Amino acid sequence: MALLEVADIHVFYDKIEALKGISLAVEEREIVTLVGGNGAGKSTTLRAISGLLHPRQGSIRFAGRSLAGLGAHEIAAGGVVHIPEGRRIFGRLTVNENLELGAFTRRDRRDVATDKEQMLVLFPRLRERLKQLAGTLSGGEQQMLAAARALMARPRVLLMDEPSMGLAPMLVEQVFETIGRINQQGVTILLVEQNAPMALGIANRGYVLESGRIVLDGPGRDLLDDERVRRAYLG
Amino acid sequence: MMRRAALIGLAFGAGAVHLAAVGVLLAMHQRWIIVEALTLGQAALLLLAGGAGAMTRGPVMGALAGAAAGVPVVALLAAMSLVPLNSIFIALSHDLFNMLTLGVGLAAGVAILIGGGAIAGLVGVLLSNSSQMVRRAIFPGAISVVVAGVFQELIQLMLQQYEGPVGDFRDFIYTWEGLSLQGAIAIFVLAALLSEVFGFIWRMRAERTASHDHRRERMVRAGIALLILVLLPMLGGSYVGQVLMLVGLYILMGMGLNLEVGLAGLLDLGFVAFFAVGAYSTALLTAGSAHALMHLPYWAAMPVSVLLAVAVGVLFGLPVLGVRGDYLAVATMGLGEIVRVIVQSDFAAPLLGGAQGILEIPKPSIGNFVLGNPVSLFYLTLVASAVAAFVAWRLENSRLGRAWEALRDDEDVAQALGINLVRAKLLAYGLGAAFAGLAGSIFATMLTSVYPSSFQLLISINVLALIIVGGMGSLPGVVLGSIVLIGLPELLREFGEYRYLFYGAVLIVMMRLRPEGLWPSDVRQRELHAEDETLALDAGTDAVPAQPR
Repeated sequence: MALLEVADIHVFYDKIEALKGISLAVEEREIVTLVGGNGAGKSTTLRAISGLLHPRQGSIRFAGRSLAGLGAHEIAAGGVVHIPEGRRIFGRLTVNENLELGAFTRRDRRDVATDKEQMLVLFPRLRERLKQLAGTLSGGEQQMLAAARALMARPRVLLMDEPSMGLAPMLVEQVFETIGRINQQGVTILLVEQNAPMALGIANRGYVLESGRIVLDGPGRDLLDDERVRRAYLG
Repeated sequence: MMRRAALIGLAFGAGAVHLAAVGVLLAMHQRWIIVEALTLGQAALLLLAGGAGAMTRGPVMGALAGAAAGVPVVALLAAMSLVPLNSIFIALSHDLFNMLTLGVGLAAGVAILIGGGAIAGLVGVLLSNSSQMVRRAIFPGAISVVVAGVFQELIQLMLQQYEGPVGDFRDFIYTWEGLSLQGAIAIFVLAALLSEVFGFIWRMRAERTASHDHRRERMVRAGIALLILVLLPMLGGSYVGQVLMLVGLYILMGMGLNLEVGLAGLLDLGFVAFFAVGAYSTALLTAGSAHALMHLPYWAAMPVSVLLAVAVGVLFGLPVLGVRGDYLAVATMGLGEIVRVIVQSDFAAPLLGGAQGILEIPKPSIGNFVLGNPVSLFYLTLVASAVAAFVAWRLENSRLGRAWEALRDDEDVAQALGINLVRAKLLAYGLGAAFAGLAGSIFATMLTSVYPSSFQLLISINVLALIIVGGMGSLPGVVLGSIVLIGLPELLREFGEYRYLFYGAVLIVMMRLRPEGLWPSDVRQRELHAEDETLALDAGTDAVPAQPR
């Protein structure tokens, strides 16, 4: 059984049906990516999984347990951590405070300290800026901070929404490299990206979304070579 | 350049005309700063001309701006002598005319206004370009003279019991009317000297200890402020005690609202409701009148009142859980008004006394000692504030405090990190309400009666204004904000009707010049001056490469 199972979810914004029956599965230790154009429903899918939105129909199961009726904070505490789109760090707090907030649900103070040290090894730039306000970091650094903060929660599944958005090409590569490293540490990743070639390149499997439906799925390499995907997203 | 200077001057002059037309200028003219030499009103005019000058560059432009500031006033004088304006603007009276012309007639008065404006503008621009050393002498000196002059009654009252050297000093600087010219000069020189000496010592220390301990220095300043606060009512008597007690109540409320607005980012314009709940609870639990439900001693009623305020705070939070931003301000304002309307209604009158209120609330007592006079009640407020400040300080640095800051910055991300939004928000309202409930409880026993009319929307706005002026999220800021926005207007009673004009002006000036507040929290200061700090840090990392730990 897959670690994360989404079965036929329908999500509405008022009367508009944003997701028209999405089903997908993510196995433990996989990187799975959702690609598709604007308004295809990629971010909405992530928001439904993390509990920020509630599907009107369908089910979401994590490690065999239904997530229906749980609040976003409970889902996060259970090990599904969402990094929303944009550079959503706490700009008015320091880098250090941001990292500590990542471990908000954890009580094991000593392990938290070790994890923080590990994050600072993984992202050495953050160590230099530990006491600085997060809002003063550069775009790339903010994205690193968002990832490091999410990892502080020791997630089993990381939901990443457009981590490369608005970054310079060189930084984009760096971000994807980081995603790979995080995955190697045993974290399962569900990745939403506009940058389809990079995302499909790193992912084990991918789903292609179009106006609230999944139109194609398969191993990342295959999708990358698929003629339809190429024409639609890769130019 | 010239055009700009003239425009600045005209704008400041228009400000002076405004002050004259609403009547505050003449009211200020009734108060001497220095007897027979300078009134508060004249000082305000000089300040406006000087301010216009300070915003320009170069002595010529400064003088031009200052002179231009006189032009609208001259135009007002001309209009006043041609048309009987005071049938519309009652403040534009003959007395005002005499004040503005110094009683020497129109022609000479015009010359004095323009010439005086030019000189003031020149002084303004010279001061703004002068060295730190000069400014460190002049500003404290001038401010001390104004304080000593304007509050002469109060200060004389405090000093009147002394004989010997203090008495001699008092007789030297004050006549029975107010500050004398020789006294003003003495105070100016003294304050300027002290400022220079302390500034010098401070710089020496800063040089010796390369990284001066910012935190400790602030603690020392806070400690001195506290000591003054403790000693002042003992010296100043019951009037000062009463004013300080009011300041104390607002400090309590400010600390509570600070948790909601400053930390959790939940704008609340209905804060007065919690104050009312605290006051009415205490009234119902202790009063000697027919409305009382019980006759508890005050010390038992106070904690119950606080708990009831917490309960109402949580209830209050429930309907507005999903409301954000501007809508939250409107929604909370409505809830606050609902509480007042219910209390005032005939429907609740059998229980709460309606518009007649509840009377005969006893004063608290310790053993046989009744805390009857304002000074002893002030000390009660002080102790309550100290306890509350400690709680607020601990909360800020707690897990809950961090959670509040997180949801203030980004609710979605806060949830995604496992913060329970509902719980955090309700706790913010509940704990914020506790502070207001405590303030309300003391307020009830201070007045020995409660009326619905005491719990107007304006109180909520005052509390919000004082934490904005003091500095969002900063505890010492709350104290400073209360003193400036609550204490000062109480001491300047005769300008009472201009209180909100003063508030508005202070808020606008603050937002322009010092948006982080008078005494900002570390975070706000870092945020608003983040740019310079980043530069400094970058420079720092260049000089010293990061050390691996």
